[in-house]
Amino acid sequence: MQQLRMRDLCAASAIVLAVAIGPAQAGKNDDTLRVAMAEEILNLDYNYTTKREYIILAQLTDATLFNIDPDTAEIEPSVATSYEFIDDTTLDVTLRDDVRFHDGSKLTPEDVAYTYNWINNPQSESNASGVVERWLDHAEVTGPNTVRFHLTSVYPLVLRDMGARIMLRKAGTYDAGGTVDRDAMANRLIGTGPYKVVSFEPGTELVLERFDGYFGEKPAISKIVVRNIPDIGTQQAELMSGGVDWMFKVPLDLAESLGATPMAEHLSGPDLRIGFLVLDAAGYTDKDGPLTNVLVRRAINHALNTPEMAKFLVGGSAEAIHTACHPAQFGCDQSVTAYQYDPEKARALLAEAGYEEGFPLELWAYRDKAAAEAIAADLEAVGIDVDLRYVKLESLNQARAKHEIPAYFGTWGSGGTADTAAIARIHFADTDRNLSGDAELEEMVLAAERTNDPEERKKLYSEALGRIADQAYWAPLFSYSANYLVSPDLNFPLDPDGLPRLQNSSWK
Amino acid sequence: MLRYIAMRGLLALLVAFTVSLATFFLLNVATDPAQAIAGEDAPPEVVESIRARYGLDRPLPVRYADWLGGVVTGDFGESYYWHKPVAALVADRADETITLALSALAVTILIAIPLGALAALNPNSWIDRFALGVAVSAQAVPNFWLGLIVIILFAVTIPIFPVSGDDSWRHYVLPAFVLGASSVPAVMRLTRTGLIEVMGADYIRTARAKGFRGWQLLHRHALRNALLPVISVLAVQLGQKFGGSVITESIFAINGLGRLALESILGADIPTVQMLIFVFAIVFVAMNLLADILNAALDPRIRIG
Repeated sequence: MQQLRMRDLCAASAIVLAVAIGPAQAGKNDDTLRVAMAEEILNLDYNYTTKREYIILAQLTDATLFNIDPDTAEIEPSVATSYEFIDDTTLDVTLRDDVRFHDGSKLTPEDVAYTYNWINNPQSESNASGVVERWLDHAEVTGPNTVRFHLTSVYPLVLRDMGARIMLRKAGTYDAGGTVDRDAMANRLIGTGPYKVVSFEPGTELVLERFDGYFGEKPAISKIVVRNIPDIGTQQAELMSGGVDWMFKVPLDLAESLGATPMAEHLSGPDLRIGFLVLDAAGYTDKDGPLTNVLVRRAINHALNTPEMAKFLVGGSAEAIHTACHPAQFGCDQSVTAYQYDPEKARALLAEAGYEEGFPLELWAYRDKAAAEAIAADLEAVGIDVDLRYVKLESLNQARAKHEIPAYFGTWGSGGTADTAAIARIHFADTDRNLSGDAELEEMVLAAERTNDPEERKKLYSEALGRIADQAYWAPLFSYSANYLVSPDLNFPLDPDGLPRLQNSSWK
Repeated sequence: MLRYIAMRGLLALLVAFTVSLATFFLLNVATDPAQAIAGEDAPPEVVESIRARYGLDRPLPVRYADWLGGVVTGDFGESYYWHKPVAALVADRADETITLALSALAVTILIAIPLGALAALNPNSWIDRFALGVAVSAQAVPNFWLGLIVIILFAVTIPIFPVSGDDSWRHYVLPAFVLGASSVPAVMRLTRTGLIEVMGADYIRTARAKGFRGWQLLHRHALRNALLPVISVLAVQLGQKFGGSVITESIFAINGLGRLALESILGADIPTVQMLIFVFAIVFVAMNLLADILNAALDPRIRIG
């Protein structure tokens, strides 16, 4: 008890004194935005990395052929000024003539063709290869400012992949002189983005400086320093002492408590990640099991109090969802069947299905234990006897691949891609995540990737999402929110796709 | 003595390999390195390509044998994340951890030995009770909590030291204190007990009769004998500081071996974890060996025995 009082006293004294001292002015004074990231930054080349932190950094240091408008999810020009489909599998892209690399050299169509062909080359072993191999046959230079992309098949997400995944490199970057060097850009990145790398100490600190030769709109802040600080408490202390100006992935309670002081501002924005409950409708684990009955699956949907989960367990800007996609994604039709929280109706449906006494259900989960427990509690409340198995992601993946999971609480962030395709194919087509066993649904989802016509894609996704909802293959739960703590001096705009764009920050 | 050292060295290697074997299999059973490298949302094709690239699709015994074969020739493999030889990676990070461990040991010595000596010279006094109180508190407080408290007090509220980082000596003050504090109870108690025992010995009585008092008595006659077991403990504590710096380095964002170990374990970077375990085991056994040699050097009775 004595120790507890001492701790409270220390914490209270710290807060009172820190409030009295007031917020630090370090960042604004030297026009340097100091950013904290828990994840170690080891490689600056997004063509060879995957995680969220690297996407954020790639936005700063690299430019892509196209941009994706975060508000409308529409494709915008960037390094490319325009594009034209010659036929379904031939795409001509015209480039700007004023794009420069950070070393001052001018970007050429040869650089663009080289980048794409290299990533498509199995020898590259790029993390982006899996994406590009889906659609690229080869790229060729067709003029002083034009590149032609030959596609292997119709692929409607080609421009999105170009806008989100492939960072442009100078010809020969990875295999100059015939020697393959996949880490050529890992530490000494030469990109085409609004910031250039000044210094980089892997796992410790990255210093970026505004690139004067950038072809687009210049960022307002001249310097960004990214520091790797693994402990969230230490990040918080750095923010309080003026050592950093921006931190993300902040737990809601911490964000709210520190955001209530003058030392920091709590910002909560949407995140493309959604949570959902996947049900073994196909009967892989039990061919005559209760989950193969649509009435049971609908009962499960009615049993879950998703608005309260969103409000109290996720918080911030999280919201309950009723579609098998994020509402901000292209093609995510919101007019599909919605199952309101209604435990009585859930019990009635279970009784109608012949399970008035309920049934045992093994429910798997790998993250957000509180939400997993809330799901289990809601299902228990309508009579389903839940055995919650909270495991590591890898264990869940292995068990799912062997079709040993009757139901699991999953989440998906769509890699930041605001398109239903980024979630539909992997969960309702030819992967082990698809527990629907619905071949017709799979055909719809795949058909939406065989046309470049946006209206046709929307129509196909509406049909697919409608079928998923009617058949209650999933119980969609909630969208996640992204919580940030920032310096009170910082303007940091939040985008609907949940991707932090530090290049759009400015000082107040 | 040489034979003894050689035997202990061999034992160190045996311990390191046993631990590495257990670590290798446990890490592979508990997690999927390919998935950990790719990230939570990576599509299956990316995970598979990583699995193939790093040879993670081969049977576990084959992979372990491969690793072992490499180690024999001094090749500890390449980090999945850093894409550089693990040996170079560990060498790069060792400076920070050595600095931190030695600073922490200095903190332990500076606090624990004077406090233990004062307590021993004034048994059952308020000084003794204060010293024991310090020892109990230091033992009860976990590192991560103490770390955050000293950050709030001495980096945020009274900004004397930096919150985190490892750019200057000032960055090491708080982490060295936190890491050093955890060893204070053991060293302080041992100093106190040892001194109380020695102070009751006949030769001390003789020394008193000859007129020795206070610091002179302590320095010339008591401390040398009382500190023999303390030296052993300090050597072991130094070994523990290397492995035990994981939490402290993470809290203070020090880019040393402890943080590397934590990140590597979380990311299932098996080659790095393997080498770190190997290094930590060797250091620990080496420190024990050093303690034995020091004791033998300081006390002729041990050499004869």
